[in-house]
Amino acid sequence: MIKILSKVLLLAVVLVVLEMVYRLTLYPRDIEEQCGLMEFSLKPLQEDADMIYLGESSNHNCNDADTDRRSICQMIDDQLPGHHVADLAHNATHSGVFYDIMNNIPDSCRVQTAIITVNLRSFTSEWIWSNLETPLRKQQVMMKKAPALYKRMLLAFKAYPHWTEDERWALVRRGLKRQTFSIPGFPYTDAAEWDREMWHQGTQSGLSDDSAALACHYIKCFACTLDDNNPRIRDFDHIVRLCRRRGWTPVFHILPDNEDQMDSLVGPQLLTLLHNNARFIQQRYEAMGVMVVNNQGIVRDSAFNERFYPTEHYNEKGRRAVADAIAAALCRAN
Amino acid sequence: MLFNSIEFLLFFPTVTLLFYLLPHRFRWMLLLAASCFFYMWFIPKYIFILLITILIDFSAGILIERWADAPAKKRTCLIVSIVSTCLVLFIFKYLNFCSANLVALAQRFGWTHPTKVLNIILPIGLSFHTFQSLSYVIEVYRGNQAAERHFGYYSLYVMFYPQLVTGPIERPQNLLRQLHEEKHLQYENIASGLRLILFGMFLKMVVADNLGVYVDQIYEHPELYGRGDLLLGMVFYSFQIYGDFFGYSTIALGCALTMGFTITDNFRTPYLSGSVREFWRRWHISLSSWFRDYLYIPLGGNRVPLPRWILNTLIVFTVCGIWHGANWTFMLWGFAYGLLLVVEKGLRGIHLFDRITGKVGRAVVQVLNVAKTFVVVTLLWSVFRSPSFADLHNLFAALIDNHGTEHLQVGAVAWVALALFVLSDLLTRHSRFDAWCGRRPAVVRWALYAVLVFAVIAQSSVQNYPFIYFQF
Repeated sequence: MIKILSKVLLLAVVLVVLEMVYRLTLYPRDIEEQCGLMEFSLKPLQEDADMIYLGESSNHNCNDADTDRRSICQMIDDQLPGHHVADLAHNATHSGVFYDIMNNIPDSCRVQTAIITVNLRSFTSEWIWSNLETPLRKQQVMMKKAPALYKRMLLAFKAYPHWTEDERWALVRRGLKRQTFSIPGFPYTDAAEWDREMWHQGTQSGLSDDSAALACHYIKCFACTLDDNNPRIRDFDHIVRLCRRRGWTPVFHILPDNEDQMDSLVGPQLLTLLHNNARFIQQRYEAMGVMVVNNQGIVRDSAFNERFYPTEHYNEKGRRAVADAIAAALCRAN
Repeated sequence: MLFNSIEFLLFFPTVTLLFYLLPHRFRWMLLLAASCFFYMWFIPKYIFILLITILIDFSAGILIERWADAPAKKRTCLIVSIVSTCLVLFIFKYLNFCSANLVALAQRFGWTHPTKVLNIILPIGLSFHTFQSLSYVIEVYRGNQAAERHFGYYSLYVMFYPQLVTGPIERPQNLLRQLHEEKHLQYENIASGLRLILFGMFLKMVVADNLGVYVDQIYEHPELYGRGDLLLGMVFYSFQIYGDFFGYSTIALGCALTMGFTITDNFRTPYLSGSVREFWRRWHISLSSWFRDYLYIPLGGNRVPLPRWILNTLIVFTVCGIWHGANWTFMLWGFAYGLLLVVEKGLRGIHLFDRITGKVGRAVVQVLNVAKTFVVVTLLWSVFRSPSFADLHNLFAALIDNHGTEHLQVGAVAWVALALFVLSDLLTRHSRFDAWCGRRPAVVRWALYAVLVFAVIAQSSVQNYPFIYFQF
């Protein structure tokens, strides 16, 4: 037994040496190759930035016809003289990733306010089990505050969610069944059931396949009742705690969704759920002292870029409307 | 649970530690529970399929022994057991393939019938534990093994976690006997076991997975690459599949050895074989010996007239091909090996190199034989790797046309890993890695551990490559 313990001790020494070797040699390259998110997200964070903007593609996605191609973040920055808003937005990210990015912001930065995007679509199964999630989670592993060799070991031993396509779809299907809701007088109680019937009835009632598919996407992306157990809610809670710890003011802004298209394709029940969820978030986080800017309904159908999938990609008019609402709320608060 | 997962890094030491802490009479329970947990980590409900196989063969073993004096009953029992165990394998592995081919055949004759495809995922390691279970029943039938009366021990024999999902396919005379023996903590076993686990992880995570990146590029779009790159990709696949499977088997060996169990070596430097016949004595040894003992010899082995021997060889290798998967490419792969063995036997009388004598001359001949065998094996791996005949055709068409303009950008890590793999194969051709390593001075040994640990952690591929043999 003593022989074994002495070898374990020797192994520990070897590991400490290897940690130093790794940190000095391969770690910088691994961060660059495996963790673009941290590399690219934190690069724009200059010393003088007093505000940070965290979001996903809604921030910078433009329409081909846009003459003003500024991102939402830039528009906010332009409306707040005397402040510098650093753009930390990255495609497909969500509250879990925002937390890791924020956690990696050096103490030397002078950040006072964190503007955080709340995308209601990110709370449902299709996004939670999206195939973009695995690469994001890999990057999150490297963003942990832990010894470099340990983080690389987590990557090597696949300590992040990874699924085959079959497994992923099974998870999405199971998740849709758990997206439950209760609307008085409405026959469906979960997203899977509603989605199935929508497709059946939509195609029966003369909707084109594309429109029926889009209606189904809306149901899968928004038909749910948010509660404390949603993983994204838990991540937002972590963000609030992190902001408190670091003395930052959190500002959550709820992205507008295409209510016109949702209403015409699916019906008022989905809008009710959407509004209920936005209200849930607003009430929950306002009670925690967070400023919540609920932008639901401020962008109309014509300002949305995508026609065949529910996204929060706006043209310049839409981006401006969102930026104006956030800037106005920040001005009011100051 | 995967050997190269973070969960396994917690599971393995916990189980090993508990194994030594518990008194012998409780250890089977621990190992059985751990094996169930290990298996259920993938798809929990599939444990019931395993349970069916276990129940059938456990009961068959007892009945066969009970009817030792009634040959007809005993034989019937064996047949029922084999058929029902194989039926489970057939339903999960071959039913869709058979029905699709039958429908395609019927359509050729103008008869159309809608196909019903079973939407099921193949239970992991089904072919492996089916064969292990069958070997038990057959050995009991032959009188080489007493029927196991303890259901727990028998279940553990089928489910022993280190070799549950990809073998080695164990014989009851080796594993079942050891499961009953009391094991004592021995430093040598722990040290050798951990060495094997580390080396296995290096083979899988550093060699196989890093090569896999380039292999996938080549096999997904062969038309994009020139002949040189295609050949390089094919060679890489030979080492990827070897590293992958040898790696898994080595980890399995190591896990078992830390608890004092010795399981069968599955590989003995197969790419240093001088002939196809020798290759099959060194590659996936537990499977090739299974086919030898339970199919080839019962068919008559080599003590039959030449035409019958040719037929036997072709049957055995074609079945071996099908064992790997329900696909025509696997069947072709197996059949081609059968054919090659026949050709090799035919050429055995021609002694081309008999006049070459002397140490150097014989060494040159040996190197040429090894190279020839490696080329043949590599070509056949491309049949094995191709998902369909169309893909295989594309690969060889691209090889012949040589129109591709893209170049494979192979990183230094892949080259170094491959070089180390080849070197390790050469160094360990006479003894296993753990024994070879144990003979080095402590400083060299620890330097080697440090290099392997560093490589496994810092140079393993970040792509997720499941073990290739999991699909079988």
